[in-house]
Order: sequence, then structure tokens, then C-alpha cells
Amino acid sequence: MILAALLLVTQVAAQDPRLERLDPDTRSAVVAVLDSARDVGLPVESIIQRALEGATKGASGARIVAAVRRLAVDLGAARGALGTSAAAPELEAAVAALRAGATPEVLAHLRNVRRPPLTMALSVLADLVASGVPADSAAAAVLALAPKARDADLVEFRRAVERDIALGAPPGAATSVRLNAGALDVYGANSGATNNANNPRPRSRP
Amino acid sequence: MRTLALIGLVCGVSVHALCAQVTANVEAGITDVQYDGFLASGAASISPTMRWQHPGGRGFFSARGTYLQFQSGRRSIDGSANGSWITPLARHWRGELGAAAGASDYANIASFSHGQVDARLHLMDEDRGGWIAATMGRSSFGGEARPVTVVAVGMWLLRTDKTMFVSVDRSFIGDTAYTDLRSSARWRRDRIVLEGVVGARVWSSGGGRGVFGEGSATLTIGRQAALVFSAGRYPTDVVSGSLAGRYVTAAVRLGRITVRTPATPVLSGNSRASESHSSPSATDARLEIETRRDDDVRLTVYTPGATVVEISGDFTDWRPVALSRSPTTADAWVASLRIPRGIHRINVRRDGGPWMAPGGTTRSADDYDGEVGVFILP
Repeated sequence: MILAALLLVTQVAAQDPRLERLDPDTRSAVVAVLDSARDVGLPVESIIQRALEGATKGASGARIVAAVRRLAVDLGAARGALGTSAAAPELEAAVAALRAGATPEVLAHLRNVRRPPLTMALSVLADLVASGVPADSAAAAVLALAPKARDADLVEFRRAVERDIALGAPPGAATSVRLNAGALDVYGANSGATNNANNPRPRSRP
Repeated sequence: MRTLALIGLVCGVSVHALCAQVTANVEAGITDVQYDGFLASGAASISPTMRWQHPGGRGFFSARGTYLQFQSGRRSIDGSANGSWITPLARHWRGELGAAAGASDYANIASFSHGQVDARLHLMDEDRGGWIAATMGRSSFGGEARPVTVVAVGMWLLRTDKTMFVSVDRSFIGDTAYTDLRSSARWRRDRIVLEGVVGARVWSSGGGRGVFGEGSATLTIGRQAALVFSAGRYPTDVVSGSLAGRYVTAAVRLGRITVRTPATPVLSGNSRASESHSSPSATDARLEIETRRDDDVRLTVYTPGATVVEISGDFTDWRPVALSRSPTTADAWVASLRIPRGIHRINVRRDGGPWMAPGGTTRSADDYDGEVGVFILP
């Protein structure tokens, strides 16, 4: 039995030598999480990276295993909201948005109103919350802009909000002001602009 | 100088995350100056300058001194300081309170001093703005102090690498009164900064009148050095006691050079979020990301005083990668890596210390009792 376990671990490690940086017990537990994730069609690269991150930071095996399990669960929740066609970057961005406080319903709504990829929209949502914007306000803003705003427009919107916050505006108010003060027109929601990240508006200095 | 200082503040607001904190330098040069009513004279000068800028662009404090040794053997010395604090009022409106003070002495013959406070109301948009301002204070020539009142209105406009600025101000100093019309521009590219001011003094009573213009070129030549060439004609400043004249100056500036080139626009998280945390890490290291071709990405970490800087991230399989010190920019460490488009996590470590989330990324908890920086390559 011990020999079989050793053979199994050795085999998996050979498949992905990066996991050799983990101690055998931790590696075994992480591999189990990876196998489970793979079985249900979740991307595993981010899970591997989360384990390697823990190894680099000197985290205990228990912490690493807990982290990868939590990530796998969150990836599953993200896929549940975005659908099985969601790409790995979208799922990773969705995990960040969920952890920031966005609800699965918001993610599902976003999927319905915006053409993929949703990576940038989800990241802007997470960034706004990280800036101090209440999660519901951030979600409302992104959902309002999402149907027609380009990725570059969303980035512009986020920068404008951050700039107002940096100048002292309350985060929620900054979001609301930027959204209501013509943002829908400026950032394309009412302008018929296409979602083309390769054709951003001319940038002014941030 | 007030005009250029305000341009600097405007730029500071826009790029606050790049050029915040304290900078200081010393400028040494030679000049040929001809004050109105005097013969031309050569002079050697040395000018230390210190500037503090709020990381969020909320305000600044600046102090400068100048010692001039004329070829006649006489000398002039002056010092000045000014600062401002900006506070949001509503929507696009900002309020600014400022103060300035200074003193000068020429050959123990003439001495001036002044102090003033000013209030400004700004209307600011993304790349343009305007303001109205009122200044009150006192100016003293020897023992006699005179009241100072200045009202002003101005507009500014930002373009990618240019700043343009127009203002009109009316000054009353005792019985002297004059109006200055002024327009200035600033252009920056790579290591070169060009600045220029043109203006006219009109409707003057005791303050002289005529046109004036000044230009300067600053060329960064090393990590902490720059060459500065300037020339022009400036009007009498009755408040600070400077006499109208024309000059040509060449100088070397030594110290912290704050001219930096922003990276190609890349979604790299937000600095404000970093600043809102109590951890000092955001001010210890700041990341700039520049996409080149294909997946080739240049990462630059600004971190003052470090001897070894490493990064680690999902694009390195979380193996530490040592950065190289930039040969051209002070406190900058660089690496070029192949990083695919998408969402990425990164940490920075300096001098073997703890891993930290650099400014310029979105900081988030990392599952390991620490923080990680998140950025996207679109």
C-alpha cells in the first residue's frame, strides 16, 4: 500500500515537476484537489500556482492544502455563475470578484449582458471594491456599463473613479458621480461603441 | 514660478502615484544676468530645493534657496517656501488653501520679505480645469510692510505629454497695481522636459509694463543628475522684491530627479487601494508594467534604497527572480519576462525581506496571512 502510494505520488510529480517543491504529504493532498478539479472540468493551473505560491512564502502544508481547496471551491462557484464555457482567466477574475463581495447573481447578470471575455469587467469590479467602493455600488456601475462599454472604457472608468477617490471623494460617491455624470455616454454604453479593446480612446494623462 | 509650480501640482495630481513623496536636489550653475537699469554681470549660483508631495496628490510643500555670487563681488541670497492643500468640495469642484513666504537680501543693501495666504476654487475635469483665486498678505522692503492682494483666474489643459496653462492676475501691493497675462506650456518626453512661459504686464501703475518670456530645457543625464538650460526675461515681482531682468543660465542639478516616463497604459490595479492599507509596503515598492511585443513584458520596480530586489509570481512559477538595477533611473529595478495576457499575481521582496504586494497592483489577501498584488495584461 505504501509502495503504491509512493508510486502514485511519484507519477503525478513526474507529470508536473513543479509540485516537487511541496513536501510529500502536502503534494499528495494538492494532487487530490487537482484531480477532483480536473474531473469536474475546472482549470487546474491556478490551483497549482496557488500551491507554489504557498511554498515560496514558506506556508505550512496545512495552509497550502486549505488554500487550494478554497480556490477550487471558488472556481466551482465562479463557473456556476458564468457557465461552463467560461475561460480560465474569466474564472480567476470571477473568483477575485466573488471574494471582493460580488454575488453569483451579479456575475450571472454580467454574463448575460456582456459578450465574452468578461475578464476585464470582472477585474474592474474587483478593483473598484478594493478601492473602497461598496460591492453593490461597484456591481451596479459595472453592470450599467457592461453592455456596450469596451474593455478600455471600463479601465478608463475605473481610473476616473480612483482619481476622484485619491482627491478625497468617498468611493461610493465617486462611482455614482462618474456613472451619472455622463459616463454612460462617455464610456460607450449609449454610444453604440463596440467592445473592442484594441481600439481604445485616445488617452489623456491618468 | 508660481505658474510652473501649479503646473507641477496639476501633473502631480494626475500622476500622483508615480512622483509622490519627497524629492530634493541642488542646482549649481553660471548665469549672465542684466537687471533693468544695471550693466550685465556674470554670476555663479547655487540653489537647494526640497519638495514634498502628498502621495494622493492632495497637496505639496516646497522650499528653495538661492545664493548668487556676482562678478562684482557682491552677493544675493534669498529663500522661499510655499505649500498648498487641496480638498474636494463637490463633484468636480476642489478647494485649495495655500501659503507662501520668503525673504531676500542683496549685498546687505536691500532686503525684502513677504508672507501670503491664498485660496483657490478649482473646477476640474479629467484633462482640463480652471480656477479662481484670491491672495492676501504682506510684503516688506526694509521695515515698511505693504498689504498684498492678488486676484487671479486661470485654465489648464492636459494632453498626453503636454500641459498648457493660461492665467490672468491682478496684483495690488501698496500703491502699486498691475495685471499679468500669462500663458505657459510644459512638454515632456523621455529624458527631456521643456517648459516655457510668455506673458505681458499691462494696466500697470508702478510695476512696469511690457512682455516677458522664459524657457528652460532639462535633460536627465544620470540616475541623479540633470543639465538645466534656461533663458528669458521676467518682470519685476513687487511682492518678493525681484527686479526685472534678462538672463541666460546653465546649471547642473544633482539629487533626486523626478522625471519619469509612465509605462504604456496597462491595467495594473490601483494605487489608491494600496494607499488605503496600513502596511508600508505600497510605499516601499511600486510596479510599472510595459507591454512590448508578443508576450514580452518589461517590469520596473521603483524602491528607494534597496540593494537586492526580487519578484515572484505565477509567471515565474513563484520562483524568485532577481531584478537588475536600471542604468538610467534612480531606485528602479527592471526585468523583461515573457508573461501571457491574462490575470496575474505578483509579490516583490527587497533585500531578502518579506514578500509584499507592490504599489501599482491591486492588493488582496493571499491565503497565507500576507498580501499579493494582482494585475492584468489586457
